[in-house]
Amino acid sequence: MKRMISGNQAVAFAALEAGIELASGYPGTPSTEALTEICNFSKINDPSPYVEWSTNEKVAFEIAAGAAWAGKRALVTMKMSGANVALDSIVSVAYSGTIGGLVIYMADDPGAEAGMPEQDSRYFALLAGLPLLDPSSPGRAFHLTKYAFKLSEAVELPVILRAVTSVAHTKEIVEADYRYHPLARKPEFKRDILRFTKAGSAICVDQHKTLLDRLKLSKDVMHTHKINQIHLNGGNEKRGLCVISSGVLNHDVDEILSSRPGISSLKLEAIYPLDEDNITGVLKNSEGIVIFEELEPVVEMLVRSLASGLNWKGRIIGKLDGVLPRTGRYSSKEILKGINELEGNERQEEVGTKTQTYKHPITFCAGCPHRGTYVALNRVLKRLKLKKEETVVTGDIGCTILGMNPPIDSCWTEVSMGSSIGLAQGLALSGLKAPVIATIGDSTFFHAGIPPLINAAQHNSDILVIILDNGWTSMTGFQINPGTEEMLQGGNNRRVDIEKIVRAIGVDYLEIIDPFKQEDSVEAISKAIQAGGVRVIIAKRECALTALRREGREIKFRIYHEKCTFCRSCMRETGCPALEVKTIRDKQVMSIDADQCTGCGLCATCCSFGAINPADQSGQGA
Amino acid sequence: MSENLFVTGVGGQGTITLCNLIAEHASDHGFRTSFFQSRGMAHRGGRVTGEIRIAENEDESFGPRISQDGADILIGMEIAELINSYSYLKEGGIVIIVNYSYIPSEVILKKKEFPSLQQAVELFSKKTKQIYSAVEQVNPVNLFTLGLFSAVKSSFKVESDIFSCISLEKTIMNKMKRNKEENIKAFRLGYEYGKKTKEIF
Repeated sequence: MKRMISGNQAVAFAALEAGIELASGYPGTPSTEALTEICNFSKINDPSPYVEWSTNEKVAFEIAAGAAWAGKRALVTMKMSGANVALDSIVSVAYSGTIGGLVIYMADDPGAEAGMPEQDSRYFALLAGLPLLDPSSPGRAFHLTKYAFKLSEAVELPVILRAVTSVAHTKEIVEADYRYHPLARKPEFKRDILRFTKAGSAICVDQHKTLLDRLKLSKDVMHTHKINQIHLNGGNEKRGLCVISSGVLNHDVDEILSSRPGISSLKLEAIYPLDEDNITGVLKNSEGIVIFEELEPVVEMLVRSLASGLNWKGRIIGKLDGVLPRTGRYSSKEILKGINELEGNERQEEVGTKTQTYKHPITFCAGCPHRGTYVALNRVLKRLKLKKEETVVTGDIGCTILGMNPPIDSCWTEVSMGSSIGLAQGLALSGLKAPVIATIGDSTFFHAGIPPLINAAQHNSDILVIILDNGWTSMTGFQINPGTEEMLQGGNNRRVDIEKIVRAIGVDYLEIIDPFKQEDSVEAISKAIQAGGVRVIIAKRECALTALRREGREIKFRIYHEKCTFCRSCMRETGCPALEVKTIRDKQVMSIDADQCTGCGLCATCCSFGAINPADQSGQGA
Repeated sequence: MSENLFVTGVGGQGTITLCNLIAEHASDHGFRTSFFQSRGMAHRGGRVTGEIRIAENEDESFGPRISQDGADILIGMEIAELINSYSYLKEGGIVIIVNYSYIPSEVILKKKEFPSLQQAVELFSKKTKQIYSAVEQVNPVNLFTLGLFSAVKSSFKVESDIFSCISLEKTIMNKMKRNKEENIKAFRLGYEYGKKTKEIF
């Protein structure tokens, strides 16, 4: 069967075909849709694998590893930042190896198209000592995911499957049977403390040796299966030139080499351990090599060290000699540049065509409860005469960080999941005059915000933490999290209550507000800012989009033109995208786009002229 | 050789749906097609782009992304994002402009300037004479744009043109699950508009 699917979906369907019995992960662009696809599959199919959005990537990985140790095939998915969170356990599990096939899907984002660092997760393979595959297209992602499970079982190691955004988010035709082939293995886990514990240096060092043996074996296995494509044009009287490329760039290289038949190529998808036979073959055949890989010179370092060991005298062009960039996504521009350098052509001057005139700031959706919380916070600062440029508000990952953008302009920092609370403690301890406020979303709080809150409680820090609880992991596409309403979670899931967690931690100052009740919210935040010690406010109101999809909208607001003075206070305070400018009888007025308005009424609280009111029953906006 | 189509808009316009229709249509007609979608900011008024590459030869190998100066056709459903995509247009390529501006608060509050349709046209005139602009627009704008695209494509008699009005209508009927009539109507209006005005600057 042929279907047009994305790289992420390809990973999901391949894992189903490989017979996984468990899949876990934490959402994060550009990896999310892999697990989403399995969730969708499991909702409507029986048999289907167990699948869950876990609390964070470390937990997700441990769950998958547990299932794999019991002999099952398991998939775990995460974005590169999540791999950092899971790393502690990944390194340790690598020492023990696996029994059932265990595939760790990590997605990198060269060019940071979705924000967050341009991290190169291929380094994790070197660091943990695990085989790594880097598929070049959705079709190859399908093939290599299936292969990764076999490889994992053959060498008894977890296998890292790494994709970049350009593969994860590209759709193409993939031929597969799109079915689940459950292996239904009998679970079995034998006690073996020499393999599965780390107590004692003898155990650890032995495990390390075993890991290195398995890693070497995986090199041989991948060599036998010819994962990499090597194409040598031997016997050319001209000096031999070769291009080595990695992952997604293999196809761009193909495109450019199609008009340069004399140049040899080695297209890598088995990145680690690097196939030394492939590289040696290329070196013997060439006087000049250019290496194309996005982000870090991972392949380049391995090739250079091999070349120097062989006393090879040719030229290697890459990042370490400064020819190719270590930042951004590669396009044919970088590849042409490298090949020009390889052919010894004159360097062409780069002509910049930067024309960006206006960049849309991303903002809270119309009706987003977070807007209400930040508007209330801004009102409190004004009321207490606290200078905005002195009052630090640490931000966190997820929709809540949109409070950094105008006209809200609240958040100062964004680092990593849960970091708003730890950073706030440090900033408060540094003795800043103004109060320090941390803002964090619900899923982010569950993920990594609890330990720093415990720390703050223990050390009696002087911070206000506002948890913006909208009940969903919204930024990545409305996944459930532990705090999602129980009836909306499905399965046997139970809801975990943030309020109970905060109380159990021992935070005495806790208030719960509804961000759409502005007066109460302003009052509560105002009091909390002036109090001392650790204070927590939970701003609780469901994500506007999930609520809208489920329940539709009851009321909308409209602006009565005759009362609107075009002072634009509504826009200045809220920046709501449902607000627009209209010209009526030559007079400019603010107006509300009825298609977007969800009826939160926040704009009405900004208007001193009573111009904004709920629309009448016909729902007509102005 | 592939034909490269770069589509851009802002969240809420249905940019990805438009791209999906074009890509699946080309793929169903036996062309090797890839479609890269930028996503994630769709609900939040951010930039949305789609990069579609179509080749007649099913075995053709090409990467998923369109390079700078690589787009044969650039479709802009929003003026600022169209201008932000300028570098992708090939010298002499086709530009299809929907005159819509998504104006955020900072512009309404006069803290920043927003580019006009005229500025966009002046800019693109440096690269091409093939600029099609729809001054009006009909909702849903993505289907309206698909109609424009079909009209422009047929007027150019591009080789292996599979994007005729009739053929695309079939695809819309097959692929769109909801609001079929509304979608077909917008598509036809876009097509008629594209046929009639053919406004080339």
